[in-house]
Amino acid sequence: MANVIVPDNHNSPFERIKREIKHGSSWLYLLPALVFFIGYQVYPIIRVFVLSFTDYRLLAADEAQFIGLQNYANAVVDPVVHQGLLRAGYFTLLFLPGTIFVPLFVAILVDRVKNQRIASLYKIILLIPAVIPGPMIFVLWKWLYDFEIGPINTFLIEGLHLFNYRNAPQWLGKSNLAIPAIAIMEVWWGIGYHTIFFLAGLATIPKEMIDAARVDGANEWQLFWRITLPRLRAIMLILVVLRFGSAMAVIDEYLIFGSFDRTLPTYTWTVYMWHLAFQLGDRLQGYAAAIGWIGAGVMLVVVALLFYIFRNRD
Amino acid sequence: MAATTTSSATIRPQATVSTAPPNRSINWRGILLHGTIIFFCLLIILPLLWVLLLSVKSIRDANTGTFWPREWDFTHYAYVIQERPEILYNMGNSIFVTLSTVVLTCICALLGGYALVHLKLRGRFLILSLLVGSLFFPTRLISLIAIFEIQSDLGLRNTLIGLVLPYVTLNLATSVLIMRGMFEQISPEIVDAAHMDGCNTWQTFWKVLLPLVKNGIVVLVIVNFVTAWGEYLLAYTLIDDQSVRTMPVVLASTFGGLGAWQYPRIAAVYIMVTTPGIIVFAYAQRWYMKGLLEGALKF
Repeated sequence: MANVIVPDNHNSPFERIKREIKHGSSWLYLLPALVFFIGYQVYPIIRVFVLSFTDYRLLAADEAQFIGLQNYANAVVDPVVHQGLLRAGYFTLLFLPGTIFVPLFVAILVDRVKNQRIASLYKIILLIPAVIPGPMIFVLWKWLYDFEIGPINTFLIEGLHLFNYRNAPQWLGKSNLAIPAIAIMEVWWGIGYHTIFFLAGLATIPKEMIDAARVDGANEWQLFWRITLPRLRAIMLILVVLRFGSAMAVIDEYLIFGSFDRTLPTYTWTVYMWHLAFQLGDRLQGYAAAIGWIGAGVMLVVVALLFYIFRNRD
Repeated sequence: MAATTTSSATIRPQATVSTAPPNRSINWRGILLHGTIIFFCLLIILPLLWVLLLSVKSIRDANTGTFWPREWDFTHYAYVIQERPEILYNMGNSIFVTLSTVVLTCICALLGGYALVHLKLRGRFLILSLLVGSLFFPTRLISLIAIFEIQSDLGLRNTLIGLVLPYVTLNLATSVLIMRGMFEQISPEIVDAAHMDGCNTWQTFWKVLLPLVKNGIVVLVIVNFVTAWGEYLLAYTLIDDQSVRTMPVVLASTFGGLGAWQYPRIAAVYIMVTTPGIIVFAYAQRWYMKGLLEGALKF
């Protein structure tokens, strides 16, 4: 009798429940994070996906009806969506190279500073914008770009004498310069944080490797292409993908710099989505949800492409 | 800096022969190197200096666009505090929302990071993939419509708690991954040793591991402080009651230049809002940098 029970004891329901509770206690540590993560990220994304197949309007009295792919069919031929995606893409094209290569350049320079105290002073100064929240940066640059009191135009007119008060550039609003102006601001904002990223990557390159290459007669340019860049590929991939994602989905900047005017260059697909969901007519949230998912889908395709381009070829 | 390198070179001439370029008199390389870095540092500092000076200029100077004030006027701060009490109220909202968010996110990330590294956990890979995946998806934007719906259903629109709950998730994935990176630097032997000494999982976490990830906590606090203190999109979407607004929305919606909000006055508000972060950072930067290098950048 006893011989039969003892080996079985490991798998008896009672033991299994006891084990589950013991393992479950590990889950208890993860629980707070999961509650927030599921409640305010996973569920909302699924919910918006479901809404995108309905004609849900926030202010309409009648129940939302399931309408299949109708929203997606409408959005694909909606010229405002096309224009919005193109505008966001234009911003991304201007912003992404700047926000990768400027900090990379600065990081390579700071990496050469031998005096550690001076190097860390540089790092701290460069990091100051990283501790100012985004919207505060946008408000500040809205003033910097201002046509009347903005110091940028004052500098161009009175410092460099490139313009006078009649033909000075209009940076914001209905201007071709609005998107480049926002891209410049975004590069400025990211310099410090990205420089620190690259410095962490540069620190992993063994100094002997560089010295050996120098002894073999490699110049700075060859060192950069043959040693530094390949070694930084992993960090570059992460930065390119993350910044691509944040650039295509930019909305705060456009809300603060622009307004809900479709002719403004800052009226992108994200602003269109917000406008439809929270301000226009009956608040066409079903349609807005579909536009959101189309934008997200476009982004995911490009992210997959980026991973393919930067894949490890070794 | 250039001067110090040249002087050290003159003391030890052998060193210059082997490493430094031929011209020994002036270190052009060093001057170019530091000059370029200083140029970038100036690019960062000048806009911030401009707004600081704007807040202490006379209103006349502000409108003529001079960089250095001809006439100083330090009364704008007093004006904001005395004549615009609603600004202090909005500032209080921001402080409450930010502190709650930072505390909640840190608790979630510390416990979660610990569980993901040092505890036996089924489904660890699934959780990690979801967290990493959420970084590559425009979560903040897409979830907006549903978060509006949830907070309306729960009656949390136009409340501060209604902002805090979604704010916790803004950096949650990043924070958990940062803490995971930090806990991974701690060898499992330390955890085993703690178990041998009779610590249970909670005591191991609280007494043994927490002191070892102090620098990581500094990184968490700063990252989450910055996000919550400046969050705009959710505050703009979920709040339409003036008295519940937070500072970013107030600043972004105030048009400077007219009447009560002459530029120096709004600039004074701006300085009051941005300096706390910079001061905290200046104080904590040593641990922040250490934390970044110890593992926070390694996720």
